Amino acid sequence: MSTQDNREKDPNQVETTGHVWDDNLQEYNNPLPRWWLWGFYATIVFALVYWLLYPAWPIGDSFTKGFNTITFEQNGEERTMHWNTRALLARDMQTGTYAVRQREMLEQVAAQDYETILQDAESMSFVNAYAQGSFGTWCAACHQVGGAGVVGQYPNLRNDHWKWGGTVEQIEETLHKGRLGYMPGYRDTLDGDQLNQVAAYVLSLNGYEVDTDAADAGARIFTGTDGGCFQCHGMDAQGLTSQGAPNLTNDLWGLIDVRGADSDSERQRLVANFVRDGVQREMPAFGDRLSDAEIKMLTAYVHSLGGGQ
Amino acid sequence: MSQAATTAGAAPAASVASTEQYNYAIIKRFAIAAVLWGVFGMAAGVWIASQLAFPFLNFDIAQITFGRFRPVHTTAVIFGFGGNALFATSYYVVQRTCQARLFSDSLASFTFYGWNLALILGVLSYTMGITQGREYAEFNWQIDIIILVVWVAYFVVYLMTLLRRTQPHIYVANWFFMAFILATALLHIFNNLEVPVGLFHPHSYPLFSGVQDAMRQWWYGHNAVGFFLTAAFLGMMYYFVPKQAGRPIYSYKLSIIHFWALVFLYMWVGAHHLHWTALPDWVSTLAATFSILLLLPSWGGMINGIMTLSGAWDKLRTDPIMLFLITALAFYGMSTFEGPMMSLKSVNALSHYTDWTVGHVHSGALGWVAMISFGSLYHLIPRLWNVNLYSLKLVYVHFFLATIGIVLYITAMWVAGIGQGLMLRAFDQYGNLAYTFTESVVFLHKPYVVRAIGGGFFLVGMLIMAFNIAMTVRSGIKAEAREAQAASAEARTA
Repeated sequence: MSTQDNREKDPNQVETTGHVWDDNLQEYNNPLPRWWLWGFYATIVFALVYWLLYPAWPIGDSFTKGFNTITFEQNGEERTMHWNTRALLARDMQTGTYAVRQREMLEQVAAQDYETILQDAESMSFVNAYAQGSFGTWCAACHQVGGAGVVGQYPNLRNDHWKWGGTVEQIEETLHKGRLGYMPGYRDTLDGDQLNQVAAYVLSLNGYEVDTDAADAGARIFTGTDGGCFQCHGMDAQGLTSQGAPNLTNDLWGLIDVRGADSDSERQRLVANFVRDGVQREMPAFGDRLSDAEIKMLTAYVHSLGGGQ
Repeated sequence: MSQAATTAGAAPAASVASTEQYNYAIIKRFAIAAVLWGVFGMAAGVWIASQLAFPFLNFDIAQITFGRFRPVHTTAVIFGFGGNALFATSYYVVQRTCQARLFSDSLASFTFYGWNLALILGVLSYTMGITQGREYAEFNWQIDIIILVVWVAYFVVYLMTLLRRTQPHIYVANWFFMAFILATALLHIFNNLEVPVGLFHPHSYPLFSGVQDAMRQWWYGHNAVGFFLTAAFLGMMYYFVPKQAGRPIYSYKLSIIHFWALVFLYMWVGAHHLHWTALPDWVSTLAATFSILLLLPSWGGMINGIMTLSGAWDKLRTDPIMLFLITALAFYGMSTFEGPMMSLKSVNALSHYTDWTVGHVHSGALGWVAMISFGSLYHLIPRLWNVNLYSLKLVYVHFFLATIGIVLYITAMWVAGIGQGLMLRAFDQYGNLAYTFTESVVFLHKPYVVRAIGGGFFLVGMLIMAFNIAMTVRSGIKAEAREAQAASAEARTA
């Protein structure tokens, strides 16, 4: 009933279809809105044009190719074919503004030696921009985006503490071949007291307050055959880059959270436990994954991060 | 199983006819289930949105991490909230517009228990890490079979009820529901063709591989949007909008044209989820162009709904339920414009793999699907229990919370998606990519926080609805009890 009333109030309305459901459900029979109809036709025209330009309809084993073409280079010869995403990618990598610019810069900088690269402002500007992306892709998963690493696991590349050497040649070798760092555990060699003594000695080398008697005993173990630590770390504990054995005197700690420890005894316990357990760390090789030019960019980048040697 | 009969005698005179004539008991169950799944599913959504903004919130508990809870959220809101709301409204609409009682009370009851059992099993299995890894079809093969059986039962109940109708014509809402039931059966079966690893093993191998399998999945995925989340809810719209407005549908002609255009065109567009992949270029083109062709047919439904209110716009000032229904249609129009644009290859190159997609799906899911369901449930539930809604004021509160929530959500995702898309394709003066992927993730944090807050608004609205519905149903049950007492007292005196 109410719909009947509404229609009387609204003389412009058209008739309903005459069907009634559920007391009062009805339908007007308004014509299709013109703008709607023309809009629909417009989308059909759009689709037809699209189909004429691009690959569209399958026919048997093939498909309509469309009139749009792409010209690119293949095996040294120019080739023109119908629009397709593979050809589009090939053309973009060959002649795209950014691809060309990047290739030019990469070739230019890769042809320079490290000394030139590190001193030339524009070369370093390119290296920083290019390698930041590579570093984010390949290195950041361990060394973190900024290269600060993770204490106890991944080396910090932003300080001047280099286990395997911080010259560009050494960094490049690290990237190419990877590194396998190993220190044996001393649980079968040294007893608890001896481990504490070694720890005291090592801490004393870095200026921490320790029991001097223990440190003296530790020094004898470190430099004698009981521990033999000197064989890798050196008599002066300055480390040995060919072994990846770190300098133990600069108070820079990659694998032991000495600076995070709350107390003297906690510090000593952490170091003693580390000596007891030993450690094995691996950096993967990238020589088979990255081009020489890419490794060169990363080398210069990493070198500049930590004040390379 | 015929609960309708037990309540019939107690109901007030006015509703005696409909409660006897129609099976309302099954509709009540589905309606309540929809509200409960809505609360759970939206809470799960806010939870995982918060995890994306603040990853520590997964507390390193595998069962509640984003990866496992994301399908819990989508299953609970799409199939739990949306699915139960569709069962409820389709059973209501088909009975009332056919003027016939639902076919087989026991089979209808089976669809209720079967559907909800499948969903509960699904949700539990995802938290245990058991999934097919197919978006919106994560159920493992045993649950797929339960769903298949339930769906066939639904089809039988619905079709047989249509055949029993005492009306000469089939009302337009039923076309949409029927298309939804048929297409969903087709999609579910084809996308889950698989070879189980073993009879008691949860996993299975898909029948196809590579790009064929990807196309099958997205043919399913987009038609789940097209038929489950669009056609079915248009069915809901075609009944509840004219009913709530008390006015005839705007154009019968438009409803026919846009119905057939919609069901024909949707089937072609799924591959637009796979632009710029191993997909053949001609498939990409067809998917993009059919998506553009779909724009106006989609808008046909919006026009028919909104124009139905033409001449009675004042209802938007006085009727919050109408506000829900019309706002839903506006969001429907917006997201069906956005969708075809995003399906163009050039736009997709920017939007794909970013949160723009997530924003788009939520402008449809929150704006269209949830809003139209809220409006329909607010209309439906008081009528099922034959009482007035507990509070219209709370419906207003719900409406504004939901709308603010949606706006926060989708604008945050536009910023996140377009921002990330632009970052990932930005070059510096040397031709290098300007940003690393990680930098784009850092950028996403703030939009993610806003998104979680938007989701929170929407969830609070849902909780208010649950309270409003609970109070309404309680008063309905009390009234029934009073009537029953009065009736038995009358019987004694007689």
